[in-house]
Amino acid sequence: MSKTPFLTLASASAQLLEAMDAGEKAAVLALVSHPDGTRSGERVLVREGKLIGSFGDPVADEGARDLALKGLSGNVAVESGVYPLPLEEGGEASVYLELHHPSAEMVIVGAGHLAQPLCTLGALLGLRVRVLDDRPEFATRERFPEASDVRRVDFSDPFQEVKLHPWSHVLLVTRGHRYDFECLRKVLQHEVLPVYIGMIGSRRRVRATFGALLKEGFPREVLAHVRAPIGLDIGAETPAEIAVSVVAEIVEEWRGGSGRPLREVERVLERFTAEPEQNDGGTTDAGGGP
Amino acid sequence: MTNEDREIFEGILQAQAEGKPCALATVVSTRGSTPRKNGAKMLVDPAEGLIGTVGGGCGEAEVITAAGKALETGLPVIVEVDLTDDPLSWTGSVCGGLLRVFVEPIYPEGQEPNGE
Repeated sequence: MSKTPFLTLASASAQLLEAMDAGEKAAVLALVSHPDGTRSGERVLVREGKLIGSFGDPVADEGARDLALKGLSGNVAVESGVYPLPLEEGGEASVYLELHHPSAEMVIVGAGHLAQPLCTLGALLGLRVRVLDDRPEFATRERFPEASDVRRVDFSDPFQEVKLHPWSHVLLVTRGHRYDFECLRKVLQHEVLPVYIGMIGSRRRVRATFGALLKEGFPREVLAHVRAPIGLDIGAETPAEIAVSVVAEIVEEWRGGSGRPLREVERVLERFTAEPEQNDGGTTDAGGGP
Repeated sequence: MTNEDREIFEGILQAQAEGKPCALATVVSTRGSTPRKNGAKMLVDPAEGLIGTVGGGCGEAEVITAAGKALETGLPVIVEVDLTDDPLSWTGSVCGGLLRVFVEPIYPEGQEPNGE
């Protein structure tokens, strides 16, 4: 019998990280016991509906793939854990299924003054933060201690190297409007757009950007997805203040708030507390008063 | 994927690249009240220590011993960690369940001990 091309723990780990970085869900299946006695630790992986690696047994492979697809579909009955895996020659092995979903990330394009508080607040929200710049003296780990990834890229197409996915939050805050524009164009060429795309800029610059992109043929609905100028209107001026307004907008995107002051949304004082009693009549009960 | 998991998987790849053997412990099933759930991982690097945790102290010593043994024999094992009667545990409130931990040795390519 030919040697089965199963995945080792290391090769499965590499495949898994690759899937996560590409924004895909993935399931890893590891044999934890097998009638042969020597096969535990052998792995296969399922990503994009496809089985990668093989247990060298068509029945086991099919069972593994089915189990993974059930788990990845969000079927609550199938969670990470140990399951029986029927084998071709009869009998069964035990397989440990582990489900993985890509993590939400913040991709900060431009490593200037604004990027630093953005990185801090993104990490605080639990996002995996990546910071990109074409200037090596700005794209340094020292400037972004909370970032998972800081790297020098070419702004003509940074997303060749740093793959975006549907859970990416892309913040275009480079030092030059032209770079923001070029990066935005690349972001909008993705088949599935990232959940949050924000670009900094004055009204005039944003208008020029949208005008140019419309002229290039980008549909209005696609441009409507871009948050430019970036952030909520809280009158922010300093980098820290602007960062607060940006992460507030990110939370609003997640949770679906209105972005308005809760005081105005709820109007508790006006709606639920009685006006002080007045003597001009009209609203008081008939016969009331001394 | 949490940053914690990512650190483990990156740790495995780094150990491979550096040619260092290590062992991975994964919680694969639990019963009762346990500090960690399925999928919790700990990477045991005999030279440099631990990344992650499968139990936050409770029963972790057994897992580390099993990791050392797995690296000697080259064979993965399942360790049953019983937290219901742990005389050394002074964090009794968090423990009290049963953990099954899958412990696997990881060798740099071409350095696996010869099984047959």
